[in-house]
Amino acid sequence: MALVKIAWRSIWRNRRRTLITLSSIVLCLAIAVFFIAAQHGVYDRLVDEAVRMQSGHLCVEHAEYIEAPAIDLVVRDVSALRKRIERIHGVESTKALVIGQGVAKSASGSVGVAVLGVEPEVEMRSSPLARKIVRGSYLAEEDGASAVVGAELVKKLKLDIGKKLVISSNDMGGDLVEEQLRVKGIFETGSTEVDAYVIQIPLGFARKLYGMGDGLSGEATRLGIVLADADERGEVMDGVAGLLAGEQAVRTWEEVMPDLAAFIEMDVVSNYIFQGIILFLILFTIFNTLLMSVLERKREFAVLLALGTSNGRIKIQILLESAFIALLGVAFGLLVGGLVTGYFQAEGIDLSSLMEEGMSISGFAMDMVMYPALTAELLAVLGAVVFAATLLMSLYPMGQIKRIPVADVLR
Amino acid sequence: MGDSIVWLRAVTKDYGQGDVVVRALRGIDLTLDRGDFAAVAGPSGSGKSTLLNVMSGLDRPSSGEVSLDGRDLTRLSRSELSRLRLTRIGFVFQAYNLLPVLTAYENAEYVLMMQGVPASARRERVMGLLELVGLGGMEDRFPRELSGGQQQRVAIARAIASEPALILADEPTANVDSKTAAALLDLMQQLNEEKGVTFLFSTHDRKVMARAGRLIRLVDGRIAYDGEAGSLEALDADEG
Repeated sequence: MALVKIAWRSIWRNRRRTLITLSSIVLCLAIAVFFIAAQHGVYDRLVDEAVRMQSGHLCVEHAEYIEAPAIDLVVRDVSALRKRIERIHGVESTKALVIGQGVAKSASGSVGVAVLGVEPEVEMRSSPLARKIVRGSYLAEEDGASAVVGAELVKKLKLDIGKKLVISSNDMGGDLVEEQLRVKGIFETGSTEVDAYVIQIPLGFARKLYGMGDGLSGEATRLGIVLADADERGEVMDGVAGLLAGEQAVRTWEEVMPDLAAFIEMDVVSNYIFQGIILFLILFTIFNTLLMSVLERKREFAVLLALGTSNGRIKIQILLESAFIALLGVAFGLLVGGLVTGYFQAEGIDLSSLMEEGMSISGFAMDMVMYPALTAELLAVLGAVVFAATLLMSLYPMGQIKRIPVADVLR
Repeated sequence: MGDSIVWLRAVTKDYGQGDVVVRALRGIDLTLDRGDFAAVAGPSGSGKSTLLNVMSGLDRPSSGEVSLDGRDLTRLSRSELSRLRLTRIGFVFQAYNLLPVLTAYENAEYVLMMQGVPASARRERVMGLLELVGLGGMEDRFPRELSGGQQQRVAIARAIASEPALILADEPTANVDSKTAAALLDLMQQLNEEKGVTFLFSTHDRKVMARAGRLIRLVDGRIAYDGEAGSLEALDADEG
């Protein structure tokens, strides 16, 4: 109890220094909380939108599709398979996709496009693209030769709502096919790559275009699986794998969207470095304070040693002083960081004025309104790391105690 | 060794190394008896502080033997010396050296707390001691709120609180005015006479020396005089 009292009062002896140290910790920790939460927010949203638009958190493909994507490598009996998959706990929905390449032509020219055959009802529920229609409307289940196209493609081919465009491609048999469609809706995601390249058409029409089997069972390039909770992916993946025939394989979104996964991985590493620098700044500040505080009190410690106080007891006092500074800094740092981040998590940060062109990663448009993702786990981990590291930092100042030449200092 | 509390034989203490060696103590033979009220005098650099440090185990002698309360200090480990100081020696420093973050009461209580004395017993003893040293009612004041003389009284209360066998006081009156110095000496003498506390203090001050029951005069690390302090002839001879 006495040590706690001495330690607590000691950190307030040099009030200004302690307050400056605490301010540094609070500021650095709040910055760390905000940026890490912002990064998680961006990734979470990016991945969520990407998986919902394209592959799902998991997807079933032909086993060879990943090596050499081709229109004839399909998943068969999609209807039966999706019914079984949707019974697995944790699966929110499934979506059949036909993914093909082609050339879109209008009276004004032609351009290479990615053709996505989608189930309009499913997409309306889960895909962000369906919510980004700026003119016209999204596809409906009963639609036939209709398409939604990106705003950039509309400009290139001088299209408009109700105008015709022709898609040329090769079907599953390798024959050249052409179909005429009408523009039903125009979307604008903010990603030039998506807006100039992607065309969505109804799944049935896509199957017809590419010569795939339709009807009850049906064929698709990919059966995407959207999860209610991405953390349950492992269990769901095991369940899905048990349902598949030999020519089918279950893939993670990282496998089917390697560019996006690689970008996030690379960005995570660079952010680790950034976080490391922030942590270093926090710890250096604390270390400096602790060391100065011990060195300038050599005489005081010498007196304590002369009176018969053990080295260990003085070390505990220094440890307690460190713990108090760390506790205060961490508590206020997390509070300030949590409040600021929580505010922006609710309100969002609109970056569109900073990046008018928008930003896309691997073809997926980043939402220009950023919502940090603050979690209790993030706060707990950051707080624990700074607290534990501070206690480690106090080891060196503690080690100085046994080096104090008591007789010389008191002389 | 009879009723001796401290016993030194052929003690030397050298500082430095190589060609630059300062010989602070040169063969000290000294016995301090229980109940002594002794002063160590001598010019600056004569070895007074070194002698006190060697006696308390804060410094180890380069050669010779040092025994405190029957224990050979040269054979004790750092932690054993620390424990011995905690239980057997009280310190009074020239610069008071109170803990600035503790009140007068808490400073006086500190050593008792280290010794594990129960809180109720501590309170009774410390309050009595603060009264004894003339600081009744000032127990909640921090050192910065006390005068130099008052701080030294707290230091004395801290030194005697655990009833040590020996109190070593290094120039205890050097930083206070003559009136306060006289009052502090009265206090130490009273503790010596009434409680039998053994005092050894170093000093430059002839008035202080005159109050000691025994005077040990150090010159160049050797004992030049050890005897009654009533007459100052020995001092005068040195001054000359």
